[in-house]
Amino acid sequence: MTSYSNSGFFNHAYHDSETLEIDRRKTHHTNPYATENPDWWGDRADTHHSSGGHISSDDVTERVPRGGWRERESIPMGLMSTGPESPSWQHDPNRSTFQNNFDSQDQSSSTQLPSLISEEQSLVKELVALSTRERIQAILDLPISFGEKKHIRSQVLAFKSSTKSRQITCFSDCSESVSLLFPQTFRRCSYGLKSARQTLQLWQGVMKEISGRFGTSVLSYFIFLKWLLVFNIFSFLINFGFITIPLLVYDVSPNIPANVSFRGLEILTGVGYLNYTIMYYGGYSNETIVGQVRYNMQLAYFFTIAAYMVLCGFVLVLSMAILFKKNYVLADIASESAWQLLCSWDFSITNERAVRQRKNNLRVQLRESLSEKTQKKLLTLSEKLKHIAVYLGSWFLSTSLALGCGGSIYYLCLYEHQQTTDTQNWTLLQEAKTLLVPFVVSLMNLVFPLLYSLFNRFEHYSSHRRQIYALVVRNVFLKMSILGVLCYYWMNVVADKFSCWESMVGQAVYRLVIFDFLFLMLGSFFGEFLSNVIGTRLLPRIGVPEFDVARNVLELIYAQTLAWIGIYFSPLLPAIQILKLFILFYLKKVSLTQNCQPPRQTGRAAQMQTIFIALLFFPFFVGALSMVAYISWSLTPSEYCGPFRGLNNSFSVVVVWTHHLEDVPGSQWVIWIYQHVVSSEIFYFIITLIILIIIYILWQVTQGRKELIVLLRQLLVNPTSSGSQSNSSAMAQALLARQQFEDKEVRQVIYGVPVPADISPSSALIQALKARQRAEDLDENLYQKPNNNPSSSNTFTQATHERDKKDEHYTPSVCSENLTNRSSALVQAMHARQRAEEDRGDDTDDLPSSMSGVMMQVMQVRQRAEEEDRIQWAPAPSLNQAPSGSSALIQAMLARQQAQNEFDDGY
Amino acid sequence: MGNKQTIFTDEQLDAYQDCTFFTRKEILRLHGRYHELAPHIVPMDYTNEPDCKVPLALIVNMPELKENPFRNRIVESFSEDGLGNLSFNEFVDMFSVLSEMAPRELKAIYAFKIYDFNVDNYLCKEDLEKTLNRLTKEDLTPEEVDLVCDKAIEEADLDGDNKLSFADFENMISRAPDFLR
Repeated sequence: MTSYSNSGFFNHAYHDSETLEIDRRKTHHTNPYATENPDWWGDRADTHHSSGGHISSDDVTERVPRGGWRERESIPMGLMSTGPESPSWQHDPNRSTFQNNFDSQDQSSSTQLPSLISEEQSLVKELVALSTRERIQAILDLPISFGEKKHIRSQVLAFKSSTKSRQITCFSDCSESVSLLFPQTFRRCSYGLKSARQTLQLWQGVMKEISGRFGTSVLSYFIFLKWLLVFNIFSFLINFGFITIPLLVYDVSPNIPANVSFRGLEILTGVGYLNYTIMYYGGYSNETIVGQVRYNMQLAYFFTIAAYMVLCGFVLVLSMAILFKKNYVLADIASESAWQLLCSWDFSITNERAVRQRKNNLRVQLRESLSEKTQKKLLTLSEKLKHIAVYLGSWFLSTSLALGCGGSIYYLCLYEHQQTTDTQNWTLLQEAKTLLVPFVVSLMNLVFPLLYSLFNRFEHYSSHRRQIYALVVRNVFLKMSILGVLCYYWMNVVADKFSCWESMVGQAVYRLVIFDFLFLMLGSFFGEFLSNVIGTRLLPRIGVPEFDVARNVLELIYAQTLAWIGIYFSPLLPAIQILKLFILFYLKKVSLTQNCQPPRQTGRAAQMQTIFIALLFFPFFVGALSMVAYISWSLTPSEYCGPFRGLNNSFSVVVVWTHHLEDVPGSQWVIWIYQHVVSSEIFYFIITLIILIIIYILWQVTQGRKELIVLLRQLLVNPTSSGSQSNSSAMAQALLARQQFEDKEVRQVIYGVPVPADISPSSALIQALKARQRAEDLDENLYQKPNNNPSSSNTFTQATHERDKKDEHYTPSVCSENLTNRSSALVQAMHARQRAEEDRGDDTDDLPSSMSGVMMQVMQVRQRAEEEDRIQWAPAPSLNQAPSGSSALIQAMLARQQAQNEFDDGY
Repeated sequence: MGNKQTIFTDEQLDAYQDCTFFTRKEILRLHGRYHELAPHIVPMDYTNEPDCKVPLALIVNMPELKENPFRNRIVESFSEDGLGNLSFNEFVDMFSVLSEMAPRELKAIYAFKIYDFNVDNYLCKEDLEKTLNRLTKEDLTPEEVDLVCDKAIEEADLDGDNKLSFADFENMISRAPDFLR
């Protein structure tokens, strides 16, 4: 820190504070309030306010002045101690009066400085008030060059060190003072952590490479994969930590019958040897482990699985909500070509081939969108009917395929059910027979999506998105019907037959997981490698395959659903899942880079990702959750194995436990919770009612905001010529932004927000109305002060100036030069009108031609009126121009009225 | 630094770490890259902040930028003189903004600068035409370019001035969550 204190010499703020000290002390000794200028107060309040707006934290705004006060106090401390009258205010607990006084003085001096410096100073002041971490972040986010950032940073540091060196006793912000006492070590340490975190980030380099070659849409698949992997690591840690480790500590060796040995096929089938290990439900005991602490395995098993499911749901809902907020609510499909032009370029791409291809794709897309209108017109009725027939046909076919899959799997399962017996020792053949069902299921999962993709080629969808959504919906339906049938079979058939049915289900899920993995590998071989070979060697017409993000993500979702379903039966399934995902990442990466080309369609990857998470949550997670819940509440656990042996259902563990607790003193609250919350219908009834009411209220709020957004958007689209209007449009813009921000929080997807271009005809009317309003306002202004002419012009110009100032305050970027802006706004309005009228002309070709003539006239008259207005607004207006100006306005209004009447007649 | 030659003082490195999205190691690596571009211009020792600049032609040949259709504009919009000669500070600044750590708002500001070819703080039709030509290898016909640009302005222009201000641009990209991720 010492190195920075030198630069305090160049710090304006520092110098000011030094010089101010002397002034303040002089004034203070007489009377602190005598020198007060009311203007300063106002000034101070203003700046205070604006600074608060920037940081947007009450805490910080409070600290800004206090910090300033302390800093100035510090020098006189030494001097005052010799003076006679100082202590009374030095130890005054109510510091605010003095602080205000000092601040006002400081502000007055700073306003004398050039505005640039004072701006910088206020920035520095704000930064000083922040804590170290926040300050660094704030500096980082400033949109200025590095040189300027460095300058500001050094100023802030100098300011701080000058403050802190003189009052080390202040420990208001602990981390701050620590970071200032040991600045070097603290910062080194935090940066060390930062770089360590970067190196720890999994696959960062690989991800970069993928996005460089294939763009963000393909990258989203890998991000999703990584997210699932982290998710599974977390669930593995939970299960392993709370269920498996206690058991292992208690009893390391699994109690395996003597005649069972490891044969190798178990890795595929999951039966035999593995059946007796902690892999499955049956391997866990129902005892209470008595070591240094008592550990109830039953409770541990139940609560771990329950907590895991609840946490999964929580994480999913949270990430879904965040993604929806970010990617869906604000996304607007309307501005297609502006989007293609300005936002479609993927700046992460660095590969030459990918860049070339992307350029070609964009060109093709733009051409297509240009010719889209003509194409739509060409579509005849018979073609439309044909399209509809193809849709219906493919939907019917895919649905019946999915249902057929479900049915055939059910019968296959029943067949397998008859074959298997409930014995301890299986022959190798018997073991191999168990692989039939998972094989068929995985084959269906591999083949039918490919068939669906084939159907998709024959359909004519108007947009790429719709095509993908149709594909996704069909695939989801297929997977759900398969899983639904399997779950039904497990819960109704398997549960009745086997003595340790949970382990049997666990094995079945295990086999499905393993086979799914094998078929994923096969799929990437057949789907990508073979079609690459065919595309390059045999049939170049087909071309190199693209990486199908939608299909691949659905495969991941399916795999994750299996893991969730299996969690109750096989608590260590996440470990298999981790391994699977880890290998899959590298496999897919190699397959991608070797076989695939970048996707032709630059779809909106972020939205697709949102949809995928939503899918993962809604049908799949909710399905798995309800299955697990049904099992633990309604099904009888097997009698001779597992943690819940001998109980009516798994949930009765909790009942038994609460009964035990009645004897334990100090645990009455648990019993109370159990009686009044968990097992009380009233509670659930009330909760449901409250949630429904809240949902209804939020829904209404959203509806209201939607309407408001529409209104504000209309305001934005209709700018008019005067400064006041541009002011209001800026306000409207600000409001709209805020509204959108607030609306995001309610998380409602907004459909049907009108496109600016669509409402231009009606906008012209609104515009006209506004213009009239403005004219009337002007007139009022002119006539309100007829008796004091010079002052009226003065106040007028003053008002204009003030308004200009306001404009600049609100929209620094939009109206930086207000005078030129106003005239340009005029021209602009004219243009907009012209455009609107052209639109209107297009719509109604048969309108009388006199109509446009009248409109022209109106425009001319209005122009004249406005020119005269502008003369009025000039610094030295003479009053006799007012009547002529107003008469022109009246004329314009009349003409417009006429035009409108005619226009209405035209319709 | 040990036995290695000192490139930056610790204070300099701290300043870089505080003001950019890079860590100490990355700053040193960036300096290495910068030095590689023009070993005869750029000194190894940066402790006294030498005033040297690397010309645009050398920077746009870096593999990170080489294939980017906007490479010249990117470099130009980060240079102080607007011609594309970058000092090391500007060089670091450029990569800091381009890095994935940088927030979207910051990137949007610079994206606007990049698209604003004639530096008038508006994206006018001329700018959009240039953008489009860069994005499509200049093989759309002039009429098509004209149509696309008109349509884009019509869609994105909220205040009806026939050019896109930063507010328009910001509003548009706020609805395109894929952009600048």
